[in-house]
Amino acid sequence: MQRGTLVRNVDELIQKALTRRNFLAGASSAATLAAVGCSKTFQPQTVPVAPTSTFNDVDYLNFALNLEYLEASYYLIAATGSGLEAADSGSGAGAVTGGAQVPFTSKIQQEYAYEIAQDELNHVRFLRSALGSSAVSAPAIDLQNSFNAAAAAAGIGPSFNPFASFDTFLVGAFVFEDVGVTAYHGAAPLLTNKTYLGAAAGIMAVEAYHAAEVRALVLQAGSAYVGYANQISALRATLGGGNETSLSATSIVACDPTNAIAYARTTSEVLQIVYATSDGGVTSGGFFPAGLNGNIHSTNP
Amino acid sequence: MATTETQILDEVIVSSRRRLMMMSGTALAGLMLGNATKAHAQSTLADADYLNFALNLEYLEAQFYTLASIGQTIDQIAIGIGPGAAATGGGTVTVKPSGVASCKVPFTIPVVASYASEIASEEQKHVKFLRGALGSSAVAMPNIDLYNSFNAAAAAAGIGPAFDPFANDINFLLGSYIFEDVGVTAYHGAAGLLTSTANLSAAAGIEAVEAYHAGLIRTVLWGLDQATPAAGIAGITIKISNLRAALDGTNSDDIGLTTVQDALNGSTSNYTASTIVNADSNTIAFSRTTQQVLNIVYASSTGAKGGFFPGGLNGNVN
Repeated sequence: MQRGTLVRNVDELIQKALTRRNFLAGASSAATLAAVGCSKTFQPQTVPVAPTSTFNDVDYLNFALNLEYLEASYYLIAATGSGLEAADSGSGAGAVTGGAQVPFTSKIQQEYAYEIAQDELNHVRFLRSALGSSAVSAPAIDLQNSFNAAAAAAGIGPSFNPFASFDTFLVGAFVFEDVGVTAYHGAAPLLTNKTYLGAAAGIMAVEAYHAAEVRALVLQAGSAYVGYANQISALRATLGGGNETSLSATSIVACDPTNAIAYARTTSEVLQIVYATSDGGVTSGGFFPAGLNGNIHSTNP
Repeated sequence: MATTETQILDEVIVSSRRRLMMMSGTALAGLMLGNATKAHAQSTLADADYLNFALNLEYLEAQFYTLASIGQTIDQIAIGIGPGAAATGGGTVTVKPSGVASCKVPFTIPVVASYASEIASEEQKHVKFLRGALGSSAVAMPNIDLYNSFNAAAAAAGIGPAFDPFANDINFLLGSYIFEDVGVTAYHGAAGLLTSTANLSAAAGIEAVEAYHAGLIRTVLWGLDQATPAAGIAGITIKISNLRAALDGTNSDDIGLTTVQDALNGSTSNYTASTIVNADSNTIAFSRTTQQVLNIVYASSTGAKGGFFPGGLNGNVN
């Protein structure tokens, strides 16, 4: 962490703690809190004391950690042929199904893959460290049947192996990155701790760097791969409440076309995508055959 | 809730203490000084001030990309630059002597022309969104310099005596490189200071879009560098990043395009990786205070007005 960030975070935490005490001491703050606006993706705030939900910061960070386990597993296996070490997975971590080292054909392909793999591993380590003993272990992850089912649902074909080549690897990466941006964007305003908010906003930005990189490289890979990506994008839109931008040379950025602000998704919308379901009350499926670990693991009823 | 939060606060304080103990005496003195300055700034600025600060930066970006893309300024395509909802009444844009139309980049790489057009459109939308959100509080566009600023930046970075970002594809990409990572750090720094949830969500969403832009520009530049190493593109990005890190007083919060050795899931750092992402050792994007951002866009390590904003920013953060 940079020095300035640390100073700011500590300042804000102290200020926040004081504000919280003032708030608890008197009801005068309630009107202010109720007047706070809501973005379109969040439920109206009608109860000032519990403005968002029953979930707390730890729940949201563990939700993010599950997604980072998935991304890190995908990229590490693609880059090296093996996934997360036991020390980075927690006790009793679930098994990973499928995946293999991608047969890269150039130095720059490896550089891209190695960088993203290290980035996602760093996110796993950061979140596990921030959560300490509250960190959930890695859940069971499926990188084989999940992609086949997604390909079938998207109309790409009966199967899809993202580890077959660098170009298919990019399509597999495309499945994750834009979703990561929307997940962190949706969760950031729900965090009450400013240190965690700062971290979430910073990880969100990194996912957006990755997303742009992957989208630009898929474009380079040619129209067949752009076609696959856009079939995946359409599937995500169906499952995850819209919030998608088709990929083309003139639309690298995934954002709301009216104001060029990135999309946000609720935790349920994200779960619908990674579980590959549009049904309510679902607790597992798709990339997570045994579901996410932690309190946020079910799609909305 | 309160119990959890108290526990988190305790953990952060303990962790901060550990970090403090690891710092040298000099660093600690700097930390204390920074603390005092920050507390003062926080007590006097409201959401509208931060949004107007962002609006100034968006005016700069929108002008740059619109000029590069179509050879016109944003007011020529009916985007307001005056105070509040007023179309007129904003500052001037200084461009190279051959004029505004000559700023349209003679692109030879079709996708780069497409990218310029897309980013121009998105930065224009950010200007319009922020002006709409701020309503009558929106500040007018300040005077913007896209000529002397780039020449001075090139000299300061050790790139050369002059730099025309509108000359060709690569120069355009390098000009873009100067802005985008800064946009990310500016929104990242401001997001946590906003009090309204709606404003916070919007700022985070714009931050993500700036990061998409930064990731795109850096990916394209890295691809060009690796294809033609003799052009020295990556070396120029390192000089720009070093200049930004020097101006903001850290010398450590900006990473140019290069390769690094990573260990991944092994124990030996023997994987050669790119640096498309500009982030810290946790791979969390850097964050800058408003003062650090001002130092960069003013091209002054003391925050004296100049650089891209010869008369300073409009609004309370300047």
